Amino acid sequence: MSSNSQDIRRSILSKWHESLSKYGNLFSSDEISGTSPPSVFVGSHNYPKVFVGPLVPPIHGNTELLDNPEKWKGKSLEEIVNFRLNLVRGIQKIPIEQTEGRYIENLQEVTMSSKPTDLDLIFNKKVSSNISINGESAPFGPIGEIKSAKFSGSTSSKPIEKIFYDKDINASDAVLKLYNSGIEISKIQKCFSIGMLGKKRKLVPTKWSITATDDIISKSIVENILENNIIDVCKIFSYEHLGNIFSVILFPRRWMFEMIEAWYSNGIIGFGSDYEDARGIKHPPRIAGAYFAAKLAVSEYLLKNKIQAGVLIFREIRPEYSIPVGVWQVREGIREAMKQKPKIITSFNEALEIASTKTSVSKNEWIKNGKTLDAIRQKSILDYF
Amino acid sequence: MTFGAKTNGSDDLKAIISAISTLVEEATFVATSEGISFRGMDPSHVALIDISWPNSAFEKYECDSDIKFGVRIDEFSKLIKRADKKDSIEISISEENMLLVTVGKNKKYKIRLIESSATDTPLPKIPYDSKIILTSSKFDKILGDVQVVSDYLTINTSESKGDFSGKGDSGEVVIDLDKDDDDIEEISSKSDSVGTYSLEYLNPVVKAVGSNAGFITCEFSSAKPLRIEFKVANIGRIHFYLAPRVET
Repeated sequence: MSSNSQDIRRSILSKWHESLSKYGNLFSSDEISGTSPPSVFVGSHNYPKVFVGPLVPPIHGNTELLDNPEKWKGKSLEEIVNFRLNLVRGIQKIPIEQTEGRYIENLQEVTMSSKPTDLDLIFNKKVSSNISINGESAPFGPIGEIKSAKFSGSTSSKPIEKIFYDKDINASDAVLKLYNSGIEISKIQKCFSIGMLGKKRKLVPTKWSITATDDIISKSIVENILENNIIDVCKIFSYEHLGNIFSVILFPRRWMFEMIEAWYSNGIIGFGSDYEDARGIKHPPRIAGAYFAAKLAVSEYLLKNKIQAGVLIFREIRPEYSIPVGVWQVREGIREAMKQKPKIITSFNEALEIASTKTSVSKNEWIKNGKTLDAIRQKSILDYF
Repeated sequence: MTFGAKTNGSDDLKAIISAISTLVEEATFVATSEGISFRGMDPSHVALIDISWPNSAFEKYECDSDIKFGVRIDEFSKLIKRADKKDSIEISISEENMLLVTVGKNKKYKIRLIESSATDTPLPKIPYDSKIILTSSKFDKILGDVQVVSDYLTINTSESKGDFSGKGDSGEVVIDLDKDDDDIEEISSKSDSVGTYSLEYLNPVVKAVGSNAGFITCEFSSAKPLRIEFKVANIGRIHFYLAPRVET
């Protein structure tokens, strides 16, 4: 991490500690009463006996914004981190197969709720007010092991309730149904995670459920896109938020998708990328969840506009992105990029040039670390009909 | 409607299904009084497979009206693999619209049919300048030789000479073709040709059809698709078309 990013992190942390000293009693007690946005979290630590529970802030009211990435456009990194740090994570250790029983069923009801839900948690001991921000995982508020929990009534979202009681639909189709009925990705992911979908239900650690949700939906969208006409010019979209610069190139080609990431580590630029064509991707992407989040956002655009294209995305992660807040920011960042007015150009080479100038990495560096330029040497059999 | 086709042995059907499985997950076959055919492209539209299996290649064949039937290749393949080499395989469509597969004398499978999605895919129209006929086992070995340094196979022909080559980050390889080799039957070209093709597509299909195919015919022109003909069941054939890689 560069000193710049450490400064930002330090400043966010010191403000957090300041607020802790003012409101510390809210966080460092052995109980909490508040309104969950609603939100649940399943950890991956100790898998397959995982730590599961609700996220609750020490306040009552409309807390929806605290865990609703789809509504965080324009918020600063500091604001978003504070949303997360305000959430106290209650946990109980549960085997992943256990998707029934009062505690889990209460959590499922919270997840299904269309409105924030009141919760009272009593912990085995005082929650520690220590929070850790290590630059790798998303930040968290205090954690406490739940002794007992009181859940208030909630109002269920109808489409989710319907899918929840449908035990004949498989998990992938359940995800797609929720998506097609307009449920937000962040919500679908929570349903997936807390074992509410499919025939053989189980708890799925939150970070895996995010990837799975993006993967299932984007794969299904791409199948539809393959039937669309291929665009005949290059389009370049870009957007910057939270210290992330996104440059998206659509070019005339049957569906192919590559995302190249560049980040700064001790003054050196590191690269990572992964790639697929119409046959899909058959291994876990080297750039992990960001890959599927980006694929989802760009495929939504192609579907909506009834077109097909090759896609190349550059993502520059600036040192200012000092605290990773989750792959939702990639999904939302690219969704936002695709809402901007594109630059339209015929030459792919010039498109690469323009997309690169949005970033501080040169065109040659981007290309060298990706596969697209090599992949487009492969002709299509349709060129010879 | 009457449709029934019975093979003599299981190798040919295994080779065909295995070849199709390298390109697609679902396949729609067309059966007419002439025989069974299949045509399909891989999802990225780089390769195309065109199969013709005439009625006379079957031990028993009956089809009084044209039909299409779609299967999931992995599901079909699992059943076919249960057949011993000498087992005949008989297919027909059951009254409840399932694919009836009788393996050998006594194993009667039924598998679900899927909605057939066959659109009429045309074939590439290319005059082929060059031809190499060699055994599929020889070709398989050459692909292996090239793969250790490259992801792509380059074929060069000049009159009656030819070579296979490859180039990658670690190095390169050239394999001259020796006309006196018993595994090579013909090398000919109307004009000098050079074409480069992806091993990612070539390897699986050559392995899938296997040594079953005996001699195979590779035809191509400079920077144009490659067509490989594999013979099956004596008079049936698989045409595998692969688009080239070109410099941009």
